[in-house]
Amino acid sequence: MHYQTGSGSCKVPLKRSVATDPMERIERMAAAHAVVIFSDSTCCMCHTAKRLFCSLGVSPVVYEIDQDPRGEDLSKALLRLHGGAAPVPTVFIGGKLVGAIDSVMASHINGSLVRLLKEAGALWL
Amino acid sequence: MASHRVGEPAALSDSGAPHHHHHHIPYAVPYMLHHPTNSNFINQEGPAFDFGELEEAIILQGVKINNDDKKQHLYTAIRPAATLDMFPSWPMRFHQHTTRGSSKSGEESTDSGSAVNTLSNTPESPSDHRQPPPPPPQMDAAGGIDSPRMSGSQSQPPAKPAPEKTLRRLAQNREAARKSRLRKKAYVQQLESSRIRLAQLEQDLQRARSQGLFLGGGGAASGSISSGGAIFDMEYSRWLDDDHRHISELRTALQAHLSDGDLRVIVDGYIAHYDEVFSLKGAAAKSDVFHLITGMWTTPAERCFLWMGGFRPSDLIKMLIPQLDPLTEQQFMGICSLQHSSQQAEEALSQGLDQLQQSLVDTIANGSVNDSMHHMAIALGKLANLEGFVRQADNLRQQTLHQLHRLLTIRQAARCFLVIGEYYGRLRALSSLWASRPRESMIAEDNSCQTTSDLQMVQASQNQFSNF
Repeated sequence: MHYQTGSGSCKVPLKRSVATDPMERIERMAAAHAVVIFSDSTCCMCHTAKRLFCSLGVSPVVYEIDQDPRGEDLSKALLRLHGGAAPVPTVFIGGKLVGAIDSVMASHINGSLVRLLKEAGALWL
Repeated sequence: MASHRVGEPAALSDSGAPHHHHHHIPYAVPYMLHHPTNSNFINQEGPAFDFGELEEAIILQGVKINNDDKKQHLYTAIRPAATLDMFPSWPMRFHQHTTRGSSKSGEESTDSGSAVNTLSNTPESPSDHRQPPPPPPQMDAAGGIDSPRMSGSQSQPPAKPAPEKTLRRLAQNREAARKSRLRKKAYVQQLESSRIRLAQLEQDLQRARSQGLFLGGGGAASGSISSGGAIFDMEYSRWLDDDHRHISELRTALQAHLSDGDLRVIVDGYIAHYDEVFSLKGAAAKSDVFHLITGMWTTPAERCFLWMGGFRPSDLIKMLIPQLDPLTEQQFMGICSLQHSSQQAEEALSQGLDQLQQSLVDTIANGSVNDSMHHMAIALGKLANLEGFVRQADNLRQQTLHQLHRLLTIRQAARCFLVIGEYYGRLRALSSLWASRPRESMIAEDNSCQTTSDLQMVQASQNQFSNF
């Protein structure tokens, strides 16, 4: 699991453009890795999401938005994005939005989660 | 449809085994207990007791019944539920027969003894009706039957029966027997639903009682069920009644071999029925999550297996797999994979809940005297997350049921949901039986009455389990 705090510590040397629009930031961050989880370090449901992916043998990249200086904006944008009960956890796979924890659970039960993970290259076998 | 379970005529003339018939009472619970190893949960139709057939057999084979004892046994053998004396289709004549001519031989059952009447070929029977005739061992049972009646119609001394009349009477008997069977079935179904309602009432009563005690003893503020919890309990009990109805519908649909299209409608209805309970639980989680998560809305046996406010989906699938045979290879793989995914999701949710509990413990333990209100506020905030976990657990349950529906053919799905419904029905029945079992503490403690108490206990338990 890789934790990213703030917007600057990416492993890829990007030109440090200040993308103020939270939605753009989210899209950028989501596209950067195969499995991305927007989380809150104090949120227990986020812990559930992280544990689930670990149990599948996947290493998700986690953004703790409570440790981001503009976490509030991110939170509002995430809520707008999937219209769920809580902004976090929100999961992206292969840059595409999977959704909040209930969508993740539903897609795991119906078998589509593993397929998405394989397509994004996060899982082999 | 000659019911092979009807005591063969030869058996009737033996001294008894009237207890045979207890096997045939079509109550759900005794049926289950009689077939514990039967892996097929689908309840067969209760055996039909065909009186028309019985009478034919008796007439045609000439059962020899010529003493009181055997008559007594016959009486109980033919009436399948001797304790349930409430089938108005039984003619009063029958009772009169047993009280009159006590030494008369074989007074038979069924609605019409007149058919037997016509077969009588003993001319002396009309004159014998007042005195006990010396029963000749070779005497046809038919000869002793209904001879009192014959005295009333002396204008027609029937020498030989007209075959057409006999056949007509036999047909009438069959018809009457059929009607009687249907009435009995309806009555038993009523009994079953009342039993379920009774179980719910008992549960509510116990809960109220225990909370009443709590109020009296502890004097704590709120011992009663919250309004949210009470509302949910009411709605849930209505849902249980619906469930019972759906199960019966599934069962009859499967036995009637309806078309796939018709079955689909019923199965979809059952899925919608479960969707409904999850939505009810969702509303209840908002108003009183503790009521759900402590399982106070379920029966004790269900509570035993409670996971996050309901059943554990992977356990349900584990139970289902052997019941769903035969499955194709692909279906089997799909269901195993479903079980595996469910286990992973359950594990993740459990770990999340553990973290919540740990965090709560830390907050409550670390509150200083000065800071206590602040810490309480934080703790309250964390508690609010419980609702999310119960909701996700219910979501998992709902998704699992939907996926099962997707993996199976329509007929398999119907059987699958029937099994599920019956399984939880039995758990609930188990709870109510357990609650009403005789307990030693309720018997007087006086040592001198020990034997009587023991007797009472044994008797009580016998009465309790006499159906089994």
